[in-house]
Amino acid sequence: MKREKRSGKQTKTIKKYFTAGLRVKASMLIMGSGQMMQGQWIKGLIYFALLAAYVSFMVLRGGADIKGFFTLGSVKSDPWLGVKGDDSIMLMLKGIITYTITAFFIGFYFSNVRDAYESEERINKDLKLPDFVTSVKRFFDRKFYIAALALPVLGVVVFNIMPIVFMILIAFTNYGGDIVPPELVDWVGLQNFGKLVALSEIKDTFFKILGWDFVWAICATAVNYFGGLGLALLLNKKCVKGKTFWRAFPIIAYAVPGFITLLAFKFMFCYGGPINYYITMGGGKAIGFLDMDAGIKAKLIGLFVNAWISIPTSMLLATGILSNMNEDLYDAAAIDGANAWKQFTKITLPFVIFSTTPVLISTFVGNFNNFGIFYFLRNGLYNDGYFLASDTDLLINWLYNLTYSNNYYAIGAAISLVIFIITSVISLSVYVRSNAYKKEDTYR
Amino acid sequence: MKRWFNKRSLPDTIITYIVLILVCFIFLFPVLWVIISSFSKSGSIYDYDGFFPNKLSFQSYKTLFCDTKMYDYPNWLKNTLFVAVMSSLIGTVLVILTAYTISRFEFKSRKTLMKTTLILSMFPGFMGITAIHLIMINFNLINRLWSLILIYASGAPMGYLVQKGFFDTIPGTIYEAARIDGASNITVFRKIALPLAKPMIVYTALTQFAWPWSDFMLPSMLLKNKNLWTVAVGLTSLGETEFTRFAAGAVFIAVPIVILYFCLSKFLVMGASSGAVKG
Repeated sequence: MKREKRSGKQTKTIKKYFTAGLRVKASMLIMGSGQMMQGQWIKGLIYFALLAAYVSFMVLRGGADIKGFFTLGSVKSDPWLGVKGDDSIMLMLKGIITYTITAFFIGFYFSNVRDAYESEERINKDLKLPDFVTSVKRFFDRKFYIAALALPVLGVVVFNIMPIVFMILIAFTNYGGDIVPPELVDWVGLQNFGKLVALSEIKDTFFKILGWDFVWAICATAVNYFGGLGLALLLNKKCVKGKTFWRAFPIIAYAVPGFITLLAFKFMFCYGGPINYYITMGGGKAIGFLDMDAGIKAKLIGLFVNAWISIPTSMLLATGILSNMNEDLYDAAAIDGANAWKQFTKITLPFVIFSTTPVLISTFVGNFNNFGIFYFLRNGLYNDGYFLASDTDLLINWLYNLTYSNNYYAIGAAISLVIFIITSVISLSVYVRSNAYKKEDTYR
Repeated sequence: MKRWFNKRSLPDTIITYIVLILVCFIFLFPVLWVIISSFSKSGSIYDYDGFFPNKLSFQSYKTLFCDTKMYDYPNWLKNTLFVAVMSSLIGTVLVILTAYTISRFEFKSRKTLMKTTLILSMFPGFMGITAIHLIMINFNLINRLWSLILIYASGAPMGYLVQKGFFDTIPGTIYEAARIDGASNITVFRKIALPLAKPMIVYTALTQFAWPWSDFMLPSMLLKNKNLWTVAVGLTSLGETEFTRFAAGAVFIAVPIVILYFCLSKFLVMGASSGAVKG
């Protein structure tokens, strides 16, 4: 209902522009012309220059780029005949850039019409139009949010949104494997997603990895969450003196860069490492903890290392939450005869879980996409029965193996979309049930 | 309550301390091990007696900085420092601007912007990196430290929520008073918001510094040229026979960041719980 109202408002605005004076209409036809007719020469010339730049860009380059985006190239390169073929990926990228430029241009166009309209209203009220310097100053004051957000938004569009759009589009092509430029890439629709669930080799690996990914995310989240909570409760006990001192140790673990921790643990468990040294000293045979056939050992080590890295974070979080708790509740419970365990399950746990649900979800998603652990511990292993993956690899590791190491771009892109769908469904379903969302509802 | 507490308090305290010491040992030990290892005379991990080097010396730190033929650590450090400082500077400006604007102003596309960042954050970060890698190869922008800086800095505004939470706590009346006195929005931002946000700016700058300082993925994908490697990429390339060199290099890069975190420790809880208040 809300949206309907707004679109009604928008048509009204557009109607308003159409019924406005001649000079506004001139600006609608040719950017900047209205402003020039109103006597605002510099502003008009800037708008006109924008229009000229965009039109000449479209004529010289953009038009071809948009066509190339749909065909992804039609001329195949032929070194014998000296034919320089089309580079499909380049065509796609240029297409995306042209669309982005067009979107920005449309934004400028509307600002041009609005500006002409506002000036026209001032003229109708017999007010003087500000000169260029004043209007620039006024823009930075009144539209401060536009000026302030221009750079951040531009950065996010170029370095976040465009790559993601590019990757989403790749998921619908056959880019990768043998089909990389100079070969021509084509749009193939949903074929890649079909391969994930139907093509035997890929399908088996996909479901095995997906299953392990869920098991891993649940285990790792549980270990980290309750480990952190336990540690925070331990440090919160009244009998513990020198809390800052004790808290320093987990913070050290938290502060050491992740790749150093992971590499150190890899060295610790490697063949010549200290653990195997003591095993051989004791008369045993050196164990390949992280080798091809390590199986469950590698998974448990991964879980342990992940706990070592992540428990400090959840400890800090739980500490913050526990400090907000009402101490009186415990006194009341103790008078009623509740023991320590009962106090924990009936007071502490519900309170902490209630206030950390969003964090619990982001931890789960983080663990689901935890690239570092198995990349550093077992980099580059491919197990039998897996298509370019090992038995500890998560979806995100498989994605890396497929795209970066083996150039299966399209399948990789399809997997990233699957990951996105899983994580967003989980996050959104919890978000919708969360208090914040429900409360928003009651205020409406 | 008192009675129950006293009767069991002594064994309870002892057990608490035992567990505490055990946990702290688990957290400390790997760190301690790397530090001790960095003072080993021999470079290879095979020459160690278990966790301990059989001969101690400062040799490894000397080789780290002088023997640069194969592994040019000083150069890695220089690159890392350059990338981290520049992206911290640019990133901080962008984050503070974004957070302040979104916290203070009501404008038409505000909700859209917030929702867009929420959705964008749900894409696996790795997906963007792969795409950026492909794009950079196609436009021949690989092997440039500046492209790394731009990517770090322009990704920074996506994590504006902590800073927005901070600006939300500043009462709007302070700004309004200045506006009534005729100050422009730029002046309000420069003369009122920025001085108030000083601790937040420090926090932002340091976190923006720490991220590139210890990131591995992006530099490993975008820097193929050995001269441009950062410390993370370089240290990862070291094998078992160069373990001491790894340990020394790791200590050297981890110490500043650990000190930094201790200076920040009062902010850490706030940063960690930022997720709890959003939504």
